[in-house]
Amino acid sequence: MDSLHLLGTGFQSAFALGAFLTIVVGLLVGTIAGALPGISFVNAMAMSLPFTYVMTPTQAMLFLGGIYVGGVFGGSISAIMINVPGTPASLPACWDGYPMTQRGEVRRALAIALTASATGGLCSALLLAFAAAPFATFALKFSQPEFFAATVLGLISVLAIAKDRPVVSLISMLVGIAIGTVGVDPLYGISRFSFGIPAMQSGIDFVVVMIGLFAISEVIDLLATDRDLRPRKTAARGLPLRLSDLWLIKGAVLRGTGIGCMLGVIPGAGATPGAVIAYGVEKQASARGAEFGTGVEQGLAAPESAKNATTGAAMVPLLTLGIPGSAATAIMLAAMMLHGVSPGPLLFLMDPTMVYTIFAAMIIANLLMIVAGIGVAQFFSTLMRTPPAVLAAFIVVLSVLGAYGVRNNIFDVYVCLAFGVIGWVMKRTGFPSAPLVLGVILGPLAERYFMTSLANFHQDWTVFFTRPISGVILALALCFALWSLWPGMKVAAGGIARRRGASAG
Amino acid sequence: MSGEARAAGAGSGTALARRLAAPAGFLVAALVLPFFMLDGAHAPRGVGLGPAAWPQAMLALIAVGAVIWLLQELLAWRRGRASLTAAAAAEPAGETYSYGKAAGGLVMIIVYGALLPIIGFPLATAIFIALWCFLGGLRRLVVVVPLALLGTVVLLWVFMGVALMPLSRGQGVFDQLSIAILQLVGIY
Repeated sequence: MDSLHLLGTGFQSAFALGAFLTIVVGLLVGTIAGALPGISFVNAMAMSLPFTYVMTPTQAMLFLGGIYVGGVFGGSISAIMINVPGTPASLPACWDGYPMTQRGEVRRALAIALTASATGGLCSALLLAFAAAPFATFALKFSQPEFFAATVLGLISVLAIAKDRPVVSLISMLVGIAIGTVGVDPLYGISRFSFGIPAMQSGIDFVVVMIGLFAISEVIDLLATDRDLRPRKTAARGLPLRLSDLWLIKGAVLRGTGIGCMLGVIPGAGATPGAVIAYGVEKQASARGAEFGTGVEQGLAAPESAKNATTGAAMVPLLTLGIPGSAATAIMLAAMMLHGVSPGPLLFLMDPTMVYTIFAAMIIANLLMIVAGIGVAQFFSTLMRTPPAVLAAFIVVLSVLGAYGVRNNIFDVYVCLAFGVIGWVMKRTGFPSAPLVLGVILGPLAERYFMTSLANFHQDWTVFFTRPISGVILALALCFALWSLWPGMKVAAGGIARRRGASAG
Repeated sequence: MSGEARAAGAGSGTALARRLAAPAGFLVAALVLPFFMLDGAHAPRGVGLGPAAWPQAMLALIAVGAVIWLLQELLAWRRGRASLTAAAAAEPAGETYSYGKAAGGLVMIIVYGALLPIIGFPLATAIFIALWCFLGGLRRLVVVVPLALLGTVVLLWVFMGVALMPLSRGQGVFDQLSIAILQLVGIY
C-alpha cells in the first residue's frame, strides 16, 4: 500500500509539464539514436550527459531514462527495415523482422516489435516499482563464474538459429569469438593477433563488425537485385496490428518478458544475451520453430519483449545497490553522482519521491514509446519508399560514419569495409553471419569472466560447476543445447535405421 | 542422377574441391594462426593460463569443427547430397542477381573508404552518393546532383555540426576545400 501511495506521488511529479516534456524529448532522442546504426543510444546518453547539468537530479534521470527506453527499442527499427541492427540487442530482429519487410510487411513487423517491446518494458518497469528489493538481493549472488555461465548460455543459443547446420553455425560463432580476442588481452595486457599493426592493438569493436557484415552486404544485394522494399499498401492508417496478431504473439511476449526481467536484473548480463536467449527459447517453444528465420511473428516478438524488459530490470541494482549493470545504467549513475545523489538503499529513505518519480517515469516512457515508436517508424517507413539506389548509398555512408564514430578512427572504417566484403562472400556462399556477430559480441565477455573467475578462485576450473547458480545455468545451457539438437539427432538416427534396414533387406 | 545429386555436383572433382575449400581453409587457419598470436612479447609464465589460452582454445575448437564439417561434406558428396551451405546460399525465388553490379558496388565502397582520409569526407561522400545512384540506375543529373549535395550537407550538419564528430577533411588542397565547404554550410 505504501508503495502504491509513493508510486502515486511519483506519477504526480512525472506528469508535471516540465518532467513530462523531458521524458518525451529523451524518448525521441533515444529512439532516433537507436535507429541510426553506429550512433547507438548509449552514445546519445553519453553526449546528453552535459545537458543534464542544467536539470534537476530527477529531471536528469527522467531524460536519460527516456533515452534508454527509446534507444533499446529504436535499434530494431533499422534492423527490421534495412537488416542493420541499430544496437547489438536488436540483432535477433533482423532474423525474423527483415524477412517480413522483404515480404512487404514492414509496418506489421514494426507494429509487432513495438507492441512486444512496450509490453516487455512496461512489465519490467512495474517489476522495478514493486519488487526492486528482492530482485536486487538475488542479483547480488552473481559473481564472475555466474556471469561466465550466463554468457555461455547466450552463446549456446546460437544452436537455435543454426537452421539444421549446427557445426557450420558453431564454427561461425567460434570465428567470431576468435575475432573478439584481437587486441590487448584484458588480464595480462599483452597484444594478440595484432600482426605488428598498432591500430589492431585496440581490438576489433563488435559494432564495426556488425555494421560491416550486415549493412554492407545488404546494400550490395540491394544493388545487385533491384529488390523492392516498399511497404505493401494497406487500407488502415497507422501501424496495422490486428487482434489476431496480439493473440498470436502473446506467449512469445510473456516468455520474452520473463527472460528479459530475469537477465536484466543481473549486472553485466544486459539486453543482448536477453534478446538472443529469448529467441532461442522461443524457437524451441513455438510450434513454428522450424520456420524461424523466415519472418515468423513469434520470432520477432520474443526477443523484442526481452530486450526492453531488461531496461527497468537493469535499474533495479542501480537504484537499490548503486551497481550499474550496463553502459547505459553506468551513465545514469554518473548523472546521479554529478548531482550529488548516491544511489543505494539510503536513497529510498532519503528521497523516496525521486525514486518513485523515476519508477513512474519508466512506466510512462514505455507507454509513450508506442507513440514515439509509431512516429519514428512512420518516418523511416517513408524513407523505404525512396529508390533502392538512393537508400543504399545513404546506408553505406551511415555505416561508414557509424564505424568511424565508434572510436573516431579511420582504421575502424577499413575494418568495417573489410567485414562488408567478407559478409557479402559469406552471404553468397551460405555461411551464416549471425553466429559470428554473436561470438564477437559475447566472446570478449566470456573470456573476461572465465579468466577473472579462475584468477579469483585460485585457477580452480571446477568452480563453474560447484557453485550452485553457475552450475544450474551451465546445466540449463547443456539442456538447451540438447533440446536444440534433438530434432536433427532424431532425423540422423532415422536415416541410419533406414539404411540399415535397406542393407539388411 | 537425382536433382539433389545434380545440385551437389557429385562426381565432379572441381565441385568436391569447391565444397571442401571452406572447411579446409578454416582448418588450415586454425592450425597456422597460433604461430602468429603474440608478436614478440612473451606470455608471463606461472601466472594462470596466460593470454594465449583462450584464443588457442577457440582455434582448437574451430579446427575440430572444421574436421567434422570436412567429413560431413565428404559424406554428403558420396551420397550425392548438396553442400551444407548450398541451401542457405540459394537465390530467393524470382530474383536475378547481377554479379557485375555487385562487384562494381564492392569496388566503389572500398574506393570510397580509401579516399576518405585523402580527399576528405565532404567531397568523397558527395561523389560516392552520385556515382552509387548512377550505378543503381538513377541517371537523371537534375535528381542525382542535388540529392548528393543536399544529402552530404545534411550528413555534415548532423555528424560534424551536432554530434561534433571529427570527420576527415582530407590532405593538402582537399583539406582547404573541406574547410571552405564547412564554412559555406555554416559548420565552421
